[in-house]
Amino acid sequence: MRIVGVTCCTAGIAHTYIVAEKIQAAATEAGHQCKIETQGTIGAQNQLTAEDIAAADVVILAHDIAVGGVERFAGKPVVDIPINVAMKNPKSLIATIEKKLANRK
Amino acid sequence: MALIDILDENIIDLEVEGTTKDEVLRNLSQRLLENDYITSVDQFVSDIYVREAEGPTGMGNHISIPHGKSDAVKKIGIAIGRTKNMIKWESSMSNDGFQDTNIIFLFCVSNDSDFAANHMMLLAELAGKLGNDARVAKLQDVKTKKELIDVILNEPESGDAGDNQEDENFDVDINFS
Repeated sequence: MRIVGVTCCTAGIAHTYIVAEKIQAAATEAGHQCKIETQGTIGAQNQLTAEDIAAADVVILAHDIAVGGVERFAGKPVVDIPINVAMKNPKSLIATIEKKLANRK
Repeated sequence: MALIDILDENIIDLEVEGTTKDEVLRNLSQRLLENDYITSVDQFVSDIYVREAEGPTGMGNHISIPHGKSDAVKKIGIAIGRTKNMIKWESSMSNDGFQDTNIIFLFCVSNDSDFAANHMMLLAELAGKLGNDARVAKLQDVKTKKELIDVILNEPESGDAGDNQEDENFDVDINFS
């Protein structure tokens, strides 16, 4: 599975980056490709390209405040969750997405 | 500048005094004051509480990451403290909303986001490293400040994302637009 995502939190200092790392690690561990854009106080880093998004099977938006550029994900399967959900259960998150995408096919 | 340059041993305290969140925040902030990172403990701590009010900063593994932007900040950095006893801290990781914390990463960030952008990048990189459970689990065993810094900087053998126990009730919706 190819996963892309965006993380952002209220202060844009800590959770944005911690959760990006957690999703990345959980996805990699489960054998998926993953790229997470962080939208923090220093702006967007590891920005998703149009190619990244086009190739993605699913988009994870883990956020407390509005994600910038959501129009980029039009037509993609999107998982929209509070950042704490990804913080607490990164592995369960990836496993649930796997299951739901498989059921749909 | 590299990550090691913002890890300042002068603002690390492996035996920070305090039995409550407030005492520990104040004691770590006092170190920030003494080392010229902030201009006022009261103002800095009060700005930390502004962020605390928006959501829990306990992140599991007995680690908390209080942070916030403050006009009292002169220099961007991160104070790190380890307490002797566990402290009750608001947490997003447990169902009752609290966790036991003994390691505190207190992010010291200026209100001016253009100021020292390079430092902020490093702080973001450091935050990302705390997302690795294998790394943060090792922090409990460090005996010296040097060891603590090494654990943060070095890559752990496994990149475990960590999860609390497998949660059978966990569910998220996928929106197929």
